Amino acid sequence: MSGYPRVLFKNRRPGETLFLDDYLAAGGYAGLRKALKTMTPAEVTATVKAAGLRGRGGAGFVTGLKWSFFPADQPGEKYLVCNGDEMEPGTYKDRQLLLADPHQLIEGMLIAAYALQAPVGYIFLRYAYEDCARNVERALGEARRAGFLGTNILGSGFSCELHLHRSAGRYILGEETALLNGLEGRRPNPRSKPPFPAQKGLFGKPTTVNNVETLANVPHIIVHGADWYQGLALTEKGAGTKLFGLSGHLNHTPCVELPLGVPLGEIISDHGGGVWQGRNFKACLPGGASTPFLTRAHWDLPMDFDTLAAAHSRLGTACVTVFDEGTCMVAATLNLNRFFQRESCGWCTPCRDGLAMVSWLLEKIESGRGTPDDIPMLQDQLRNISGRSFCALAEGAMGPVEALLRLFMDEVEDHVKKGRCPFN
Amino acid sequence: MPKLTIDNQSVEVPDGTNVLEAAKRLGIVIPHFCYHEALGAVGACRLCAMKFEDGPVKGIQMACMVTAQEGMVVSTLDAATVEFRAHVIEWLMMNHPHDCPVCDEGGECQLQDMTVAGGHTLRRYRGLKRTYPNQQLGPFIEHEMNRCIQCYRCARTYQDYCGGEDFGVLGTNQRVYFGRFRDGRLESPFSGNLVDVCPTGVFTDKAFRFKSRYWDLEEAPSVCPHCGLGCATIPGGRYRELQRVRAGSNRQTNGFFICDRGRFGYGHAAHAARPRVPLVDGQEVDWTQALAAARARLDKIIAAHGPRSVALLGSSRAGLEANAQLRSLARLLGTDRVVFAAHAPRDWTARTLAAGLGAQASSLDDVRRSDCLLLIGADPLAEAPLLALAVRQAVRGGARAAIIDPRPVALPCATAHLPLAPWRLGQALAALGDNDWSRFEGQEAVFLEGVHEALAGARHPIVIGGADLLGPAGMRQLLELARRLSREDRPCGAMGVLSGPNSYGAALLAGDGPDFEELSNAMITGEVRALICLESDPLTQAADPAHAGLALARLDLLVALDSLPTKTLGHAQIILPTTVTAEGAGCFVNNEGRMQTFMRVLAPGLPLRETGGGGHPPRLFMADTPGAAPRPAWEILAGLQGRAASLAELRDALAREDVRFAGLTALAAESEGQRVADAGLALPATRVEDYVPRDGELALLVCEALFGSEETAFYSAPLDPVRPEPRLILHERDAGRLGVTPGEQVRLHSAVEEVVLPVEIRADSAPGVAILPRVRGSLVEAFVPGVGPQPCRINREVDHA
Amino acid sequence: MSQILPQEQIDAWKERVTGHAHPMELVVDVLRAIQAHHGWVPDAGVELAAEILGTTPLRVEEIATFYDKIYRRPVGRRVIHVCDSICCWSRGAEEVVGFLRERLGIGFGETSADGCFTLLPSCCLGACGEAPAMMIGLTTHGNLTPARILAILAAESGEAAP
Ligand SMILES: Cc1cc2nc3c(=O)[nH]c(=O)nc-3n(C[C@H](O)[C@H](O)[C@H](O)COP(=O)(O)O)c2cc1C
Ligand code: SF4
Ligand code: SF4
Ligand code: SF4
Ligand code: FES
Ligand code: FES
Repeated sequence: MSGYPRVLFKNRRPGETLFLDDYLAAGGYAGLRKALKTMTPAEVTATVKAAGLRGRGGAGFVTGLKWSFFPADQPGEKYLVCNGDEMEPGTYKDRQLLLADPHQLIEGMLIAAYALQAPVGYIFLRYAYEDCARNVERALGEARRAGFLGTNILGSGFSCELHLHRSAGRYILGEETALLNGLEGRRPNPRSKPPFPAQKGLFGKPTTVNNVETLANVPHIIVHGADWYQGLALTEKGAGTKLFGLSGHLNHTPCVELPLGVPLGEIISDHGGGVWQGRNFKACLPGGASTPFLTRAHWDLPMDFDTLAAAHSRLGTACVTVFDEGTCMVAATLNLNRFFQRESCGWCTPCRDGLAMVSWLLEKIESGRGTPDDIPMLQDQLRNISGRSFCALAEGAMGPVEALLRLFMDEVEDHVKKGRCPFN
Repeated sequence: MPKLTIDNQSVEVPDGTNVLEAAKRLGIVIPHFCYHEALGAVGACRLCAMKFEDGPVKGIQMACMVTAQEGMVVSTLDAATVEFRAHVIEWLMMNHPHDCPVCDEGGECQLQDMTVAGGHTLRRYRGLKRTYPNQQLGPFIEHEMNRCIQCYRCARTYQDYCGGEDFGVLGTNQRVYFGRFRDGRLESPFSGNLVDVCPTGVFTDKAFRFKSRYWDLEEAPSVCPHCGLGCATIPGGRYRELQRVRAGSNRQTNGFFICDRGRFGYGHAAHAARPRVPLVDGQEVDWTQALAAARARLDKIIAAHGPRSVALLGSSRAGLEANAQLRSLARLLGTDRVVFAAHAPRDWTARTLAAGLGAQASSLDDVRRSDCLLLIGADPLAEAPLLALAVRQAVRGGARAAIIDPRPVALPCATAHLPLAPWRLGQALAALGDNDWSRFEGQEAVFLEGVHEALAGARHPIVIGGADLLGPAGMRQLLELARRLSREDRPCGAMGVLSGPNSYGAALLAGDGPDFEELSNAMITGEVRALICLESDPLTQAADPAHAGLALARLDLLVALDSLPTKTLGHAQIILPTTVTAEGAGCFVNNEGRMQTFMRVLAPGLPLRETGGGGHPPRLFMADTPGAAPRPAWEILAGLQGRAASLAELRDALAREDVRFAGLTALAAESEGQRVADAGLALPATRVEDYVPRDGELALLVCEALFGSEETAFYSAPLDPVRPEPRLILHERDAGRLGVTPGEQVRLHSAVEEVVLPVEIRADSAPGVAILPRVRGSLVEAFVPGVGPQPCRINREVDHA
Repeated sequence: MSQILPQEQIDAWKERVTGHAHPMELVVDVLRAIQAHHGWVPDAGVELAAEILGTTPLRVEEIATFYDKIYRRPVGRRVIHVCDSICCWSRGAEEVVGFLRERLGIGFGETSADGCFTLLPSCCLGACGEAPAMMIGLTTHGNLTPARILAILAAESGEAAP
């Protein structure tokens, strides 16, 4: 469809999964070989850092920088954890990746584990991804038999064991410290930071947590180099390609790989086939349920971390959910907020109870029972929840609420004035 | 020592202090729920927000989560911060029932206080409230989950601090629930602390329910009388009834928590059979008559048989002032036959400790901060429950704890246990002191060597020994071991576990005086004709109760001062009722030699509940208070000397006469107390070799238990539901040899008595030892701990029949 | 189904726990194994998991009640998790729920009279590109229409016949 190069999805065939033979035939495990045979762990980290790879789990932290904080030289237990919780509504890219090409993740993890000198890794997968779990299980078995996994990998002296952990629901497990508690069999509330996982992570040992897509990029960076990776993005500061999972009111809702920096409008028109039912574009979530809405005004905005931050939003997971002109933004925000409310881990007050207050207010307004007092009250909830919760879940929940009050205040007021939802 | 500015006032605090605490030092108390000094900061409630205006941290932050740093400028009055705190309260109140008038926490509810302090005055949320079912949590704790504000304090107290595994956090989001897997009694012996730590009415004291409102209670700082540790407590009374006890705080001793024995042991004060009026030959008399009769009869005996025909027996249950008055009465009467404990071996062990502890003395706080602990012949949960919590805190902080004990000592934390027969504890102490393992084999030697290495390498090692199992000789060895392990740069602490709240004080007064064995022999031979018994019950407390019984039976006169309906009262011609701890004031000297005062909480009297037959208000009007006759023992004993002195005067006199108690005059209630000055006593000579069974024989070891064996708590009705059934603990090897199965009835033949009881079989007790936890008021009543191993024989009851 | 977990599996789990440095790491796996065999995790299942892991039932319950995919109450032979998150909502999730309610005659948290289906709401299933979606057992079904739902229900109830 587009002339952009494909990296993560280069081997993807509809309805098929690539396993070891095909993966090797497509050049798989060359990155691992190169790293183990020709690079020191520090060189791997330096390359990933130079490539400018940023975390694909939502926060966009520079991966190489994160690894450089890790005490790789410290002897003893250390862990690499792959975050495959992927439960933020609208986000389904990691699933697509694991359905298409699971060995990419395993190779990426092995290279990362080598860079971090972590002898043990965990792949944490959400409950609903049983299809992915089976792929990973099979791929792990293949990799072990082929000598890519286990002791003395490819005769390099480096050993690494990877384990698959199947979870049992709950979005908060995606937060890295909650995930570590979950892996340990504790209640998965987030931990306070500091200490950061790099100091005290899984079982109290140094740990790095990375997203599935982040790790899958690593082999390609090692094989083709940092400059090549930098050059993939359309923006000056951006690097690499990104999986964009489309959803909502579009004619087509595929998950596509595009360079970072592709304009929003291009994604919607060219890859989503435009807004469905011949309607007009109203708004979208640019990167999952926690990212503030974008509107028509952002049509030409390049989709990258910094550009979206400048537009009062976030790239998040780059899974774009589109709303047509007939969508009530109060109702959409209520739906989003109810998700966060239900998935609150229950640890801190602004999230556990504050989100319930927000839902109550939004529901009141949406159902036509709203009063003029409710709007300032919604504003004071936003003001007092933002930045005050224990972890970023409640912060994320405020993304759409903030955008609603900033971009769609007239719509909110209209509900109160009319005493009903103007879209019903 | 960083210096920071809070609300324009500057304050310097120790390193590691959080900003919430720093503000508290300036008298600025910011509402908070989840932070607790003993539990630490977890940042859950988000209430303690402050504005960090300048310095290394910026913006609105949770003060409990920020460590004070040099140059911080903090505001608690910043408008956005104040608004935020009000919001947190509003959120917490969304689901909270608005029915304070019917809530049992009312009046002492932190949520009420913080709601007002946080400025939440108007309810805006009008949605449905979340509700929960409650659980039945046993006899002590009432559960009302709808009142929960999810501060997580209860779970952190129960699991993290106390090590309980049967209560915790369930569910998620707005439906988190604090409870058990199923209804049932909370298993932790520290469960009552939930009442104190819960800032709302979720956990309330079940035994106290519907009795009083907090503001109607009379309260005063006190000291727990139920073991030798002397935890700070705050008893509360109303309508002449001691109605509850909550934990006080003393950072040196209990910290902030107490055990359930200490919390629910108060029922002795309202025991129906408690002596309430002075009795002479069974006749009610007034105090003047009673004291006159006692003096007249004593004088008559002295006239006929000389002053040494009168003996006096004090106790570790009575305060320091009362025991001191007993000593001056003895001097006045001209007799040197004054003893301060009915149990001679315990007496000598306490005297050994008091004479030799000196600078090695360690507090519970020292234990909490220790990095290496040895417990030898000490079972904390049975003998000094809060010690178990102190050991747990040390272990949580990374300390290693080793236990050498024949009993299956269980602590709520990871420990290493070497089950060693009681007669070998001395050898172990000697081996540890001499670094010589030749008398031990294999695993035992390895264990001991490991313990020695750990103690030698530790920065704050403490050795802890139980009086009952070590005896005087072992206690002496323990002190010696601590001295040997001490180095110039780093002392090794020592702690002895004693049985009574004032064992140490009584031992200091006893000096090198006689013991009760000597006294009872003199009674049997007729040399002693009269005994004045101060809050002591030799018939259940003496090492040999039967012998004590023979001795008491020979007396011409027994004058008994007591607040408990003891067996000994049955032998007394003159009974002088005393007040219980909460009704009088005085001082206990705890097991580390710390003097602590308790204040009078309420006046003695027959509870209104009894006189009024449950009805209220009372319909009968009278001039005097029924049951108000009991007096503090020190007052009675001063009276017997013809003196009427105040407690302050008595203390002054004692402090002047005995330098060890010099600190007494300045002793303040609610303080950390004060250690007695150097004892200046010679270590008593130690005697008697333990009984050592021959191969194939079993030795009987009687020991204390958490519930059912402590004297004062035995008389407390709130503890009735947890009183254990008697049982005999056998090592699996011995059980195998005898062919008994778990729960089976066996017949125990011993010098004390022959009894039939069920067995519990353990793999972690010492082989060759049959362990019998004491249960007062049961069929094993006659068995007394602290007397060393005794010969015994055990048969299966089926074989007997 | 009366048995919570076959003895061989209990033994196998116990063997994995022995020598495991962090047995609680397996708590979710053990609960899922019990659920896979028994359909849901009864009290006795929590107690069995505690026994296997060498901990108290409370410690297991703390975990079991956190996760929404561990069923602590009886469920039908198939559990339907209908996505109610934003993408599915935007493409007719409410209609899907309405259709399921009507067909099965049950509301959320209820089990159909024949014991076949339990209906539960779920957050995003990671099938947002195929919204609206639902998951039955461990299988996700997307692009739901009334006709597709009927076909899926028929297939599932056929397989799940008692
Ligand atoms: C509430 C919450 C949910 C999250 N869920 C996910 C997730 O599902 N997958 C993920 O990779 N990161 C998730 N994150 C981000 C992780 O905490 C973490 O930053 C990330 O896994 C780091 O990997 P990366 O640097 O490779 O992106 C979540 C964060 C929060 C606060
Ligand atoms: S913001 Fe607080 S309650 Fe919400 S998920 Fe994070 S820690 Fe839990
Ligand atoms: S029960 Fe009490 S202590 Fe426990 S979380 Fe609720 S309010 Fe806090
Ligand atoms: S540990 Fe001892 S002093 Fe403390 S509360 Fe318990 S019985 Fe009382
Ligand atoms: S007291 Fe600081 S967050 Fe609760
Ligand atoms: S929103 Fe329904 S599957 Fe993602």
